[in-house]
Amino acid sequence: MEAGLLDVRIWRGGDEGAFASYRVPARENQTVLDVVTEVQRCFEPSLAYRFSCRVGVCGSCAMTVNGAPRWTCRTHVKRVADDGALTIEPLRHLPLVKDLVSDVETFFDKWTQVGVFEGTATRAEPPAAVAPTSRERAAADAAIQCINCAVCYAACDVVGWDHDYLGPAALNRAWTLVNDVRVADRHGALERAMGEGGCHSCHSHGACMEHCPVGLSPTASIAGLKRTAFWSLLKGRAA
Amino acid sequence: MQVERHQTDILILGSGGAGLFAALHATQAAPNLDITVAVKGLLGKSGCTRMVQGGYNVALANDDSIERHFMDTIVGGKWLPRQDLAWRLCTGAVERIQELENEIGCFFDRNADGTLHQKAFAGQSFDRTVHKGDLTGIEIINRLMEQVRARAVRRLEEHRAIEFVPAADGSGIAGVLLIDVRGGTYRFVQAKAVLLATGAGPSMYLYHTPSGEKTCDGLAMALRSGLDLRDMEMVQFHPTGLLGGPDTRMTGTVLEEGLRGAGGHILNGERERFLAGYDPAGERATRDVVSRGIYAEMRAGRTTPMGGVYISMAHLGAEKVAAMFPGMVKRCADCGFDLAGGLVEVVPTAHYMMGGVEFDIDGSTALPGLFAAGEDCGGVHGANRLGGNGVANSTVFGGIAGDSMAAFVGREGRWREPDEAALDAGIARAEVPFGRPTGDLFGLRDRLARTMWDDVGVIRDRSGLEVALMRIRDYRAELREVGVVDADRRFNPTWHDWLNLESLIDIAEVIARAALAREDSRGAHFREDLPEAGPLETSIYTRVRRQADALELELAPVAFDIVRPGESLIEGAAGAPPALAEAGSPG
Repeated sequence: MEAGLLDVRIWRGGDEGAFASYRVPARENQTVLDVVTEVQRCFEPSLAYRFSCRVGVCGSCAMTVNGAPRWTCRTHVKRVADDGALTIEPLRHLPLVKDLVSDVETFFDKWTQVGVFEGTATRAEPPAAVAPTSRERAAADAAIQCINCAVCYAACDVVGWDHDYLGPAALNRAWTLVNDVRVADRHGALERAMGEGGCHSCHSHGACMEHCPVGLSPTASIAGLKRTAFWSLLKGRAA
Repeated sequence: MQVERHQTDILILGSGGAGLFAALHATQAAPNLDITVAVKGLLGKSGCTRMVQGGYNVALANDDSIERHFMDTIVGGKWLPRQDLAWRLCTGAVERIQELENEIGCFFDRNADGTLHQKAFAGQSFDRTVHKGDLTGIEIINRLMEQVRARAVRRLEEHRAIEFVPAADGSGIAGVLLIDVRGGTYRFVQAKAVLLATGAGPSMYLYHTPSGEKTCDGLAMALRSGLDLRDMEMVQFHPTGLLGGPDTRMTGTVLEEGLRGAGGHILNGERERFLAGYDPAGERATRDVVSRGIYAEMRAGRTTPMGGVYISMAHLGAEKVAAMFPGMVKRCADCGFDLAGGLVEVVPTAHYMMGGVEFDIDGSTALPGLFAAGEDCGGVHGANRLGGNGVANSTVFGGIAGDSMAAFVGREGRWREPDEAALDAGIARAEVPFGRPTGDLFGLRDRLARTMWDDVGVIRDRSGLEVALMRIRDYRAELREVGVVDADRRFNPTWHDWLNLESLIDIAEVIARAALAREDSRGAHFREDLPEAGPLETSIYTRVRRQADALELELAPVAFDIVRPGESLIEGAAGAPPALAEAGSPG
């Protein structure tokens, strides 16, 4: 590497695209998103990339950086550059739109396949009393603050070979639904998570947990689903 | 130019709290209608509801009351809020928070007895802010996004609206012209009702908090359509935006309010505390006061290496700070800063626009068929927004607008024939950069940002505002000469940067114009040459509209139809809003 410069390779085009190389000044405070922005502003005005909040809340800017899926707005270059070199690609396991932008539609389709919240109370009633220290609340909380960035989905080996697999983020959401005492049909939520492409497809490699930028453990959520499914079967409640 | 044409019954622009609530309420009220949500980014991902850290103000607790929430909102807004809207906000918040919990599925934090936990937030006389940890917005927007995705709502993601197209017969709005960002093509969506819920966002300032897509596009479209914008001089600055230098997008993003509340110190470049010299409450004064103190210190030259001040938490114990603010500490660490044990450079940062489109309590605007909700609207917050009233505003009025649009379409909705000349003009405007030589687009945005920061920012005066107005007009002329390469329009961020800058310039001019006209200092608006608040009884608000190519401004009297200055709906000092209790102290 030339002193003070980063060697940056960025995927350009669609599936049949190629890498293009750029030299970008290295700076003291610089995230991977800043590098991509600088390439757009200085070299490639039509470079497609996605970002929104800049602070790790919206989960829009995930890309593959030196081989690993990451949120780029919160990834400092110094933490990931390999002797001043960065290779930036779109997320894996998702169709490519252009350059660094993936189509996340299937990710969200699977997210809602595990079901969305349906309660029993209405807006005319006070919220349900839920003890903050209860086991179920703690389990629901452990999985709750997902930013749906799809990093875990891109990291998961099973997603790569089994296109029906719902993936870690959706199943992590399912675990909160199963533990949410306000949900009208928690057993139904469990059954959807146990069905085809559900929790039993997980091989517990733990890549999701390893790469989750907000420190969630979909692995633990999926293990919880498997455990609950097992006891549910023993009790003869599931089909 | 080829334009794809579609029809829908209700078109919603924006997918923050306002847009998504409108979609849900419209589908519930009229399940047979065809409803489309168009959003500049991905559904639920672009917009600031997701970024809410603090929470949601609502009078739920036994000892709290709607009246008290309302008085806090009026006093905090320096008597400029439109009172019927502020009252509707406070009453609507109760139903909306229960809807969020019981029907949408948000799982807010609880007290030991299982009821909703409500925390203290600045400027309020009662602990009424419902929250989910310190990342409340993620819970709200994720659950809303799921609900909307699970329903038969059409989605036009990564579609940017560029023009309201009026009806050929002048009877109202016919639809909206958009750019399909992925395809790089134009799309016209004809709709019987349209909701403006794009979230404004003061991103024309050097330091700003909103997400990247928020560039006042909706306000600029409203202005071009001849709608009135009110209170536009009222731009809220958050005192502690992260400072990382000019070349990083992390600069300007918020470090939360609670850091000061917990006892954090603000130090100048000489590493000395200084805020007590500006206000007795020091670091714990309200956002506007602390922002002015920091700005004054920076102007005096006592700055950090990057030109701001420091926030210091270490005296509270690094481990304790890390336990109290895990999200903030991790965010700083990811960016290379040690918040728990070291010093982090911060700067005031433009956060929220209290002003916006004038709208009525049912969400309707002066343009028949066009409704508005959320940060694009003016009048709810007056001169200052209380922390926790922003997400309440977008969700309460978004839901109301959804109900109103469903009723409107049932009652008098029809597809109006578009004014084809206006449609063509909208396309021509977006085509301006193509075919011209490229120029320094980003340098131009930086110059606008610097002008707004220096002369239309935290502290203002007449001469600065006059200079700024001249410069802003020059920037507009310059922009028209800056081209964008017309090689690949698909997902071309530089084309959108150009369009963003055009919107920002248009609204920057409105802010400067309103700030020049308001000859007093209220809430977020501080005129160094006119520092008095002026008599509350004769309060006025600014109203700007565009006629032909010029801005027109009028000063309209504020109506006190629920409570007059000097009065309160609360009996006794115990429940009085904070700024009434401490007369004279700005909040």
